[in-house]
Amino acid sequence: MDIIESKTWIEWLITIAKFAFCFVPVLYILLLIPMERRGAGFMQDRQGPNRSYIKIPYFGKIRLLGYVQNMCDGTKLFFKEMFAPAGVNKVLYYVAPAIPFAIVFLSPCVIPWFGPMVFEWGGQMVRIPGSIIDSDVGVLLLFGFSSLSAFGAVLAGWASKSKYSFLGALRTSSMTISYEVCLGLSMMGILLLAGSFNLTDIVSWQEHHVWGIVAQPVAFFCFLIASIAETGRAPFDVAEGEPELVAGYHTEYGAMQFGLFYMGEYSHICINSFLIATLFLGGYSVPFITTETMQAHMGGSLTVLCGVLAFLALAFLHMIHRYSKKLAATNLTNRFEILREYKLYNIVAWAAVVVLVILAFFAWFFYNPQSMVIGGVAVGSLSTALGTALIHLLVLVVKSVIFCWVWIWVRWTLPRFRYDHVMSLGWKIILNIALINLVVTAVIAKLVGGN
Amino acid sequence: MRVIKQKPMTWGERLYIFEALRGLFTTLKHAARGLFRYEELPTISYPEGQPEVRNTYRAKHRLMLRPDGSPRCVACGMCAAACPAHCIFIEATASDDPRIEKKVKRFDIDHLTCVFCGLCAEACPVDALRMDTKKISFEHRSREEFVAHLEDLTNWDPKDYPDDEQSQVAPGGTKNAEARKVWGMEVK
Repeated sequence: MDIIESKTWIEWLITIAKFAFCFVPVLYILLLIPMERRGAGFMQDRQGPNRSYIKIPYFGKIRLLGYVQNMCDGTKLFFKEMFAPAGVNKVLYYVAPAIPFAIVFLSPCVIPWFGPMVFEWGGQMVRIPGSIIDSDVGVLLLFGFSSLSAFGAVLAGWASKSKYSFLGALRTSSMTISYEVCLGLSMMGILLLAGSFNLTDIVSWQEHHVWGIVAQPVAFFCFLIASIAETGRAPFDVAEGEPELVAGYHTEYGAMQFGLFYMGEYSHICINSFLIATLFLGGYSVPFITTETMQAHMGGSLTVLCGVLAFLALAFLHMIHRYSKKLAATNLTNRFEILREYKLYNIVAWAAVVVLVILAFFAWFFYNPQSMVIGGVAVGSLSTALGTALIHLLVLVVKSVIFCWVWIWVRWTLPRFRYDHVMSLGWKIILNIALINLVVTAVIAKLVGGN
Repeated sequence: MRVIKQKPMTWGERLYIFEALRGLFTTLKHAARGLFRYEELPTISYPEGQPEVRNTYRAKHRLMLRPDGSPRCVACGMCAAACPAHCIFIEATASDDPRIEKKVKRFDIDHLTCVFCGLCAEACPVDALRMDTKKISFEHRSREEFVAHLEDLTNWDPKDYPDDEQSQVAPGGTKNAEARKVWGMEVK
């Protein structure tokens, strides 16, 4: 029996549940904002925002290591008055901020979040792809979506009837056009090697051969630069251009309208980092281990996963312990308050360690699922498939978080480029390098691999 | 005239990319320090932790006291004359002590106008005005409260200045009794 498309309820359930992945970029905003603000602080030897707190009755203040600042920022933006300057095009002015934010929900549809789930259900073999839309034009669809977000900036610039906004919008459109070309061309090499536009196929090619970053290091570099430029972040933030244009295309926006642009920008970063991780860093695949090996030793894989998480919890505990020791020695007036909060973290982290260790123990000794052989292919049960998906998802998230960090890291290190420098970098350097890379890749692939 | 010739950039520097990577490495080091050695960051979380103030820091003023507790000021007006910000206001009356001509009736320092230059303390001929209180934060509700009056300026404790002999002469200090004898007053 072949791998067939069955219509059992479990398949429907998982297919519908996969739509939850649309919200991943929005959730990433919650991660990216503190990462950016505290990361910027650390790079400049500051502490970053760490003072907002939630007051809990009978306990005291909870600062969540500065994470509460996020909620404060959001609340402030949300409750500010929305206003429009006189003479703006009302409809477009109000619609424009929603466009980049709406795109955010579409883009994650084509990203494979985990390897295709193949499991046995009711005597049949069920195969569920890891992306919401398992399309053969996946990458092109994603590029189409992410270029659409430039519409938001262009409309905002045009509608807000301000010279600064207008110039910012012009710059955004030109930047998007030029860097989309670089983005597409630098990606072509890996598409050529994998022989497919389908992101799942690209990832499985990388899993069975080498990662894209090894096969195409030059393309990876061009792609990284082009996608940083495409999101319009420093050092390529000519569209916002604080020194020249007040705030570029969102000069006239405030409150949550500005917040939507802001969130759209961060989500764009998230999607681009997922894309880079998928194209060049092997996507969901675990380094050095194939999915088949992992499924054959599901219990051991879960044990390793729990072990890694427990190690992270222990590292966190160590940091908390060291900081509490230092804090107790100072004479800050609020040190007991903070120490009590750290004690709470201690308890939570120790509990997590204990739970993880117990889980690891049980997974190692008592969880050894048997795989069935259906039509000559070893197929596991639903729980094996779910476990694989979980590990895949976590691996992908870790990879993408690394790239999100690259965005922030680059922003707070490099000075911004002048507008004409950005354009000449895009058209004269990166485009040419990408083209040469594509030609070389094509020739080598033809010589070595035949087709 | 000194002409500084800029060294032309080398080939590697002109490529930008290597220098950019060097810069990225520098910021990565700092970020790692902040993440893994958070407690070693030089920041003092201010209202809870106070910065260390040096002895020579020009902070809020105080008026030195005689052994009997009256301000040492003789109302000569030198400090007000020296003040570049015109923030010292002095009124004088006749002194009860026949040895001294005047005493101060009103001595106001407007700390909103004060530039903390320290010229008043320099100008004082009898070492009555000092700026060594180490009080660096001024927070009040109204503008009037920023004006320090005579009572405020003389309200200090000799125990806060253990190393200063002149401060120990004031009532409550370790050398008060001795100084009273020298000053020619009875010790109660």
